[in-house]
Amino acid sequence: MKNLKPDSKILVQGITEPLGAIYTARMKAYGTNVVAGVSPGRGGQKLDDIPIFDLVEQALSVVGQVDATIIFVPPYSVMDAALEAIASGISQIILNTGGVPPLDMVRLLRKAAVTNTLIVGPHSSGIIMPGKILLGSQESEFYTPGSIGLISHTDILTYEVAWELTQAGLGQSLSVSLGSSAIIGSSFCQWLKILDKDENTKAIVLVGQSGSGNEADAAQYIANGIDKPVVAYIAGGHLPTDKRLDNATAIIASQLSGPIIDSDTAQSKIAAFKQAKIPVAKRPSQIPDLVKKALKK
Amino acid sequence: MDLLEYQAKELFREMDIPVLPSQRIDHPRDIKGLQLPYPVVLKSQVRSGGRGRAGGVRFVENTIDAIAAARTIFNLPILGEYPKVLLAEAKYDANREFYLAVVLDYTQARPVLLGSPKGGINVEAVMQHMQQVVVDEEFSPFYARRLALKMGLEGSLIQLVSSIVEKMYQLFVTKDLDLVEINPLGVSSSGEVMALDGKIAINDHALARHPDLMTLASKTTETKTGSVPGLNWLNRDGNIGIICNGNSFAIATVDLIYQVGGRPVSCLVVDGEATASSWEQLERALEQLAQSKSVKVLLINILGNAAYSEQVAQTIASYLQRKVQLTGAWNMPQWVIRLNGDENHSSYKLLADFPVSLVNNLDEAIAQTISLAKAAVKRA
Repeated sequence: MKNLKPDSKILVQGITEPLGAIYTARMKAYGTNVVAGVSPGRGGQKLDDIPIFDLVEQALSVVGQVDATIIFVPPYSVMDAALEAIASGISQIILNTGGVPPLDMVRLLRKAAVTNTLIVGPHSSGIIMPGKILLGSQESEFYTPGSIGLISHTDILTYEVAWELTQAGLGQSLSVSLGSSAIIGSSFCQWLKILDKDENTKAIVLVGQSGSGNEADAAQYIANGIDKPVVAYIAGGHLPTDKRLDNATAIIASQLSGPIIDSDTAQSKIAAFKQAKIPVAKRPSQIPDLVKKALKK
Repeated sequence: MDLLEYQAKELFREMDIPVLPSQRIDHPRDIKGLQLPYPVVLKSQVRSGGRGRAGGVRFVENTIDAIAAARTIFNLPILGEYPKVLLAEAKYDANREFYLAVVLDYTQARPVLLGSPKGGINVEAVMQHMQQVVVDEEFSPFYARRLALKMGLEGSLIQLVSSIVEKMYQLFVTKDLDLVEINPLGVSSSGEVMALDGKIAINDHALARHPDLMTLASKTTETKTGSVPGLNWLNRDGNIGIICNGNSFAIATVDLIYQVGGRPVSCLVVDGEATASSWEQLERALEQLAQSKSVKVLLINILGNAAYSEQVAQTIASYLQRKVQLTGAWNMPQWVIRLNGDENHSSYKLLADFPVSLVNNLDEAIAQTISLAKAAVKRA
């Protein structure tokens, strides 16, 4: 996120939801400055000494404007919670909840585009700046402070990559999980741009996989506009997978004539990176060496 | 989830999208109670396309022919699917046929209106003339008129077709659909339009907030409960079973196994959350793979924080304990377990007394799995 600092003010919507309560406690223990929580009907109460409000606007009238909000409400309430945050002028939103109906996301993203709101997720484990701030459900124990930026769609696989980097002495500046839902807010390209400008980041690792995401666009984007070294790892290169049909014509073509099988989408993504002269790791354990090599250039 | 044609048409009717008079047939003997005048069309209610070419649509002139045709269609599988229901419908003489659809485009994160002036079963012609309009912002009927004009329609047909598209869009939004399709939309010589066939796909994530659709869905699908989700595209003749947390992590693990020549037969994906239901799910996954005859080596690659790893280890330990007590012997595949990056982690101590391989490094876990799998092949 933009201008994220160790003392950035953070709001949690759905703070009394089971996962909201667990991860808020963890964020606070990590040192994140969670200034308020929102939970309709629970206004006036406290959780871990964090004041709870019924409405976002009430919270902000007491604690002032916040730098970001993290949303843990149930799937069918996510759009409403995010719209409430936008209406109160919050410009950075992390959606931790998964299973949000896609048409809710369509409506939310239309609003986000108009209001210039940065949305991460849904189904995102959030952002961690190791040693500084934790936003969401990222597991901090795989990370260590340093200068490598990590962008992915997932959580567990990212921990594996972070752990490999940590063990090789390559700490991380920031790790963001963009979310694993079919329709998500910010993209690889947006985050490449953010990390390219971030002065604490020296190199970027991009973790992709077969069957989803816009990795091929990212490869093009890196070739054209990213100055810092980038290393990619695309899981699933050896798997023949069903191509996920995600554009209108492909969906209709498959409806009319049966499924279109693309035997190697991860392979085509890997090819896109190679063409853009971006090193691609075959396995997580290869990433640290490729990063070290890229940093020497 | 896809609805059947007759269910889609019920929703069309609610939206005032014109459909033919029709009647549902659950059994060939229902034909005797048919209220429609002959000639009638009988249509197999299956999800797969191409039923016309496969013989699943028949025109009949009288009751005797209709009963015979109904029997034939009930016994005709289309791409392996037998119809549970037929739809009997009045015959319609279409002068022209159009294709219309509203679909959610995941790449653009916007709904898209689609239309082709060449509707019907000739897929190539439909696709060749397909036009689309992206609904960038809040929908308004002009998007539908824009599509009608792109399709080359003129005069009264513009409003007629665009009003159908508008209703399709309303249905799409109010019911949280992935797809609404009318193919063909028949146009009669007198210039009236009729939805002759329809398809509706419901978004699974939104299903729970549409009780009416849930009722329809329960009629058409047998829901599997209790099974742990997994990856497909695996080897039927493989001998390695895998359990991971997280889909991408599972893909990466299977990928690594393939890279070094291993043959995974099954890969189950458990939740990454530390909740009671996750531990139950893990137990079911263990049971499913440990009991599988084809699994010779079981690789468990479940990464989490220290507390999570310990609970995973506890779940595995109590499962193994129970198994050994129950059968009195180690009658199971070989296990390779990788839970935490730290080799001295307490989770490994919980499993130290069992004859399983405990590995903290992913590459080593893969290597160990492969060597055990190769040894199993040699023994066999």
